[in-house]
Amino acid sequence: MNKHANFEARRHARRISEQAVAWYLEQQDHPSDRQQQAFLAWLRTSPAHVAEYLAVAQMHGDLKVAASMDTLSVMELAHRVKHESPVVMFPQLGAGPHAKETGRAARARPFALRIAAAAAVLLLMVASGMYWRGAGTAFHQRYMADATVKALDLPDGSLVQLDQHSVIEVQFDRHLRRIAVVSGHALFDVGKDPQRPLLVTVGGHVLQDIGTVFDVRHDAGGDTLTVISGRVRVWNAPKAWLADMQDFVGVPATGNHAIADLGAGQQIKLDPATDATAVQPAVLARTTAWLPTEIRFQHETVGEVARRFNAYTTTPLVIEDTQIAKLRISGVFHADNPEAFLAYLSSLPGVRVMQGHDRVRVMAAAEPPAGPHAL
Amino acid sequence: MHEKHKTWSALFAAKGATLSSYFLRRVAHRWDAQDLVQEAYLRLLRIEPADAANIRNPEAYLFTVAANLVKEHAVLQQQSPVSGDGLEDVLEQLSTPCNAEADMDRELRRQRLGTLIQRLSPKCRAVLVMHYRDDLSYRQIAEKLSISPNMVKKYIVKGLAACRQRMADYE
Repeated sequence: MNKHANFEARRHARRISEQAVAWYLEQQDHPSDRQQQAFLAWLRTSPAHVAEYLAVAQMHGDLKVAASMDTLSVMELAHRVKHESPVVMFPQLGAGPHAKETGRAARARPFALRIAAAAAVLLLMVASGMYWRGAGTAFHQRYMADATVKALDLPDGSLVQLDQHSVIEVQFDRHLRRIAVVSGHALFDVGKDPQRPLLVTVGGHVLQDIGTVFDVRHDAGGDTLTVISGRVRVWNAPKAWLADMQDFVGVPATGNHAIADLGAGQQIKLDPATDATAVQPAVLARTTAWLPTEIRFQHETVGEVARRFNAYTTTPLVIEDTQIAKLRISGVFHADNPEAFLAYLSSLPGVRVMQGHDRVRVMAAAEPPAGPHAL
Repeated sequence: MHEKHKTWSALFAAKGATLSSYFLRRVAHRWDAQDLVQEAYLRLLRIEPADAANIRNPEAYLFTVAANLVKEHAVLQQQSPVSGDGLEDVLEQLSTPCNAEADMDRELRRQRLGTLIQRLSPKCRAVLVMHYRDDLSYRQIAEKLSISPNMVKKYIVKGLAACRQRMADYE
C-alpha cells in the first residue's frame, strides 16, 4: 500500500515536471494570448507548479554546459538511436500453455543450437559452389541444410526456408529465376521482380509464382505444393527444366501445360505417375509444422520480420509505410501467433493496423497534436 | 509600479533563463527557496481576474515577482544583493562572478545534469545533446533520426522531465 502511494506520488511529480517543461519550451515559441492565459492558470493551480517551473528554468540554464559534457558525436548518437531495440519478450499476449513449453525447450537447448547453426553455416559454405557470371544478374548456387532448418536470403529478395536434409538449386539470369527442389522440403516467399519470373521445379512439374508464399515438399510418395498466400500456377512439364525455359514461359496460359491455379490455403498433390491433381484445402499448421515454432529477431526491420510471419498465415501482413518497414526491432514471438506481433506493432508510436479479409495492413497513423494542450 | 513591471518584463524577455537561474542561485543561499515559492504563489493568486487577463507574459511576471521578493527579503536582512532599483545594477551583478560557494554549487549541478543526460534512453539523450550542445533545430534533429519534428519535441520534453525528476532526488 505504502509502495503504491509512493509510486503514485512519483508519477504525479513526473507529470508536473513534464507540464512545466512543456510550458517552458512553449514560452520560447511565441505563445498566443490564449496559451499565456492557460499557462497563468496552470501556475495558479498549485505552488508545486510554481516551484517546478522555477526549477525547470534553473535547470535549463545549465543545459548547454551539461549537454556539452557528452562526448558522442551527432553521428554516434543517431547510430545508437537506430540500433535501439525495444525488446519484446514472449509470451506476452496470451500465447497459451504451449508457449511455456517452447520457452522451456528453448532454454534447455541454446548451446546445442548454436553449435548446430555454426555447423550448418560451415557446411553451407563448403557445399555450395557459388559463382557469378556477367554483371551480377546471373547467379548459380546449390544450397543444402543439414540437421537444422535453414533460412536463406536470395539476391533477388526471395526468402527460402529449407528443411533439414533438403537441397535446392538456384539459378538466376537476366530473364528468369529458376529454383529446383532437388530433395526435401522448402518454403518460398518470393521477392518481386516482374522482369524475371520465378519458376520452381519439383519432380515433373513447374510452379510459376505470382507474388506469393508457398511450400513445396518433394519425396518418393509424390510432391506436394501448398500455397500459404497469393497464387501459384502449376505446369506439367516433364522435361521443362532441360528445355529452353524462356520458350516455356512464353507458352500462353491457355496452353495444355497448365494443370491448376492455387490460391491461399490450397494444396495439391503432384504425382508424376498419374495426372490425378485434386486441389484441396490445406491444413496450414500441418504444412508448416517443420518450420521453427518461434520467430526470433535481433535488430531486424519490421518489413523483414513481417515476411517471416507470412510463412505461417493465409492473411499476410503488408507493411505499407516504408518508414515503419525500416524500423529495427528485436524480440521473440510464437510463429503461429501473428496477432501478438500485430498487437506489439500497434503499440509502437505512429503505427496503425487494419485487418482486411485477405491481408493485414500496417500503416502510419496520423500524429497526435503536441504541445502543453496534449498533456 | 506598472511602469517598473514593464521594464522588468522587457529585461526578462531578453535574458530569460540566465536571469532566473541567477535569482534562484542567490535565493538558494540567502533565503529558503520554499518560502520564495510560497510567497510568489500567493502573489499570483492575489491577482484580480481583470488584471490576470492583462498579463501578456506570465513567465516574466513570475520572474518579476520572484526578483522583487528577493529584493524585499534582502532589505529585511539589511543586505543588498541588488543595490539599487536600476537595471544597470542588476546587469552588473549578473556579470560579476558569484561567490565561490555558488560557483561550486553550480559546477556540481552541471556535472550531475551532464551525467543524467548520458544515462537517458538513446532517443532522449540524442535529442537533448543535439539540441543543447550542437544547437540543432527540431527539424534538423528529426532528419538525422528519421522521426518527425513533433516527436523530437516530445523526446525533449520527456528527457528534460526525467532529468528534473532525478535532479530533484539530489535535493
